Amino acid sequence: MTVADDVLQVRGLTMGYGDRVVIRDLDFRVRRGEVYVVMGASGSGKTTLLRHLLGLQEPVAGEVRYGGEDFTRAPPEDRERLLRRAGVLFQGAALWTSMTLAENVALPLEQFTSLPPPAIRAVVRLKLSLVGLRGFEGYWPWELSGGMQKRAGLARAIALDPELLFIDEPSASLDPPTARRLDALLLRLRDALGTTAVIVTHDVATILGVGTRALFLDGEAQRAIAEGPPSELREHGPAAVRAFFAGGAAGA
Amino acid sequence: MRRAARPPRLGPSAARGEGYDASVGTDATCELRRGDGAPLLVLLGGSWRLAGRLPDPGDVERELDRARPSGVAIDGSGVVGWDSALVAFVADLVDACRARSVSVDVRGFPAEVGRLLEIAEEGPAPPEPPAAAPPSGIERIGEQALRREERLGDVVAFVGESALALGRLVRRRARFRPQDLWLLVQQSGAEALAIVALVNFLVGIILAFVGITQLRSFSAEGFVAQVVGIAVVRDMGALITGIVLSGRSGGAFAAQLASMNATQEIDALRTLGISPVEFLVVPRLLALTAMAPLLTLFADATGILGGAVVGTTMLHQTIPGYVRQTAAAVSAGDLVGGLVKGATYGLLVALTGTLRGMQAGRSAARVGEAATAAVVAGIVAIIAACGVYQYVFFLLGW
Repeated sequence: MTVADDVLQVRGLTMGYGDRVVIRDLDFRVRRGEVYVVMGASGSGKTTLLRHLLGLQEPVAGEVRYGGEDFTRAPPEDRERLLRRAGVLFQGAALWTSMTLAENVALPLEQFTSLPPPAIRAVVRLKLSLVGLRGFEGYWPWELSGGMQKRAGLARAIALDPELLFIDEPSASLDPPTARRLDALLLRLRDALGTTAVIVTHDVATILGVGTRALFLDGEAQRAIAEGPPSELREHGPAAVRAFFAGGAAGA
Repeated sequence: MRRAARPPRLGPSAARGEGYDASVGTDATCELRRGDGAPLLVLLGGSWRLAGRLPDPGDVERELDRARPSGVAIDGSGVVGWDSALVAFVADLVDACRARSVSVDVRGFPAEVGRLLEIAEEGPAPPEPPAAAPPSGIERIGEQALRREERLGDVVAFVGESALALGRLVRRRARFRPQDLWLLVQQSGAEALAIVALVNFLVGIILAFVGITQLRSFSAEGFVAQVVGIAVVRDMGALITGIVLSGRSGGAFAAQLASMNATQEIDALRTLGISPVEFLVVPRLLALTAMAPLLTLFADATGILGGAVVGTTMLHQTIPGYVRQTAAAVSAGDLVGGLVKGATYGLLVALTGTLRGMQAGRSAARVGEAATAAVVAGIVAIIAACGVYQYVFFLLGW
């Protein structure tokens, strides 16, 4: 693997709030086309890491790099440019409630492309179809179930064909079958669109189902204690990681 | 066709456009070919990118409508670069052909394009479109009227429920937390003092200037203290205070309750068997009804002060003289009447604010709408009540 194949790199990242360090000295790289899972118990710093990757929070030390370019120290306009390569699906979908589904998906297209309205409508229709929401263009977010909102959020996240997709807790507040269907959808879209995905989750089924490689954050040790293919981590990982998988499986 | 120089564009889109252009040589092309009786051939070529320029799918559809072909073949062998833009265009075209019952053949595309088209196809059937025919003008008027009656019913029910809850409060059986009440008293009373004083001070100045302008034509500008005093104490103090409270507390009440509605906090109260009217509405009604007359008292004082500033600087009256004139003109009845009005306006503002908040739909977008509606309804209610009071006081000779 050459450096050019790394879509995302994290080097020596230390994160914290004020004096309290959450995770220190984090190093990992995400290769093109893989589904990289960041896992850990609640409160281990998964969401904090995601906020750092998106520039919503500044690191105590270290850096985040997008495709070899420094993101952490980049001026705001470069950050915006780099972030436009990424799409984000937030935990609660974060659809804009004052807009219909079509308007939600169309907004990034209207803002960042010069496509004429008919072409934008066609792309919106395609993206909603890809997530199984064909015909729901005129619906308002509150008229949808939780799973449908997630899928609509996904349609918005892939509106601009991002090269990198960030997903925060895809299965949160979804029933297991719905969560598995969303996992399957993520994989198919990854295959068809060639998107690289970074998924933050504590759902063992999602981790094993979609993850190419996984990183385990340990909140007590304040660092990442394991990285590798999920099935391997489950069998041969450190004791804490094996316990995590076992507990998740027992609870499921 | 070589790409022409791009027109300069503003904003971040330009940055993305250039980034894509570096790797892209040609524009997307769409060529239509048809022979007699043969299927319409749609040849796609070049680079299809969201960031680039794309042909209009409407052109092909117009060609379909101009002379219905026996079939359509979409050929993508000329495509050199693509993203969703291409897939969206092809999907659109396929839909257009199907809608016209024209057979369509898609060929020569990269495998991934086919896979994406497949995923897009296989989703569940689209939902039933909402009621087809839009209602006629007369139907709409009827519906509006019915809805109005429904809304009026809501208002009556809400006022009734509030009155019952207040009744239970008198019998010491209403449930709310006293600390909530004190916080509301502080927020809608003490914290509103500065803005109420400032606005009424300025209104006093305005009234004084208006009075002087008119009184001067009778050489009676010395009576400006009486004019300002009567106007402020009888009406303007309470009215202006009510309007300030409507913008400040009425809007806040509506926003608070609407967001509690959106996050199901009100449902949580109901399921515990706690009436949201008792728990949320009653303390707000009490706080504002109690605070509005006190604020009106300050409003009266600062309004008179505003008039005095004009009287002493413009007419060179003395402060003691101005105060004596005011005291002689304003009776205790005027003062009490003003305070009663103030309390009424406070009650109306609290009622409209909490009503709009409780009526709001369960979504974040409704919070702002509820706040706007509450302020509008509050001000309308205050002005209407003010008109009613004028008439009643006039009849009573008060």
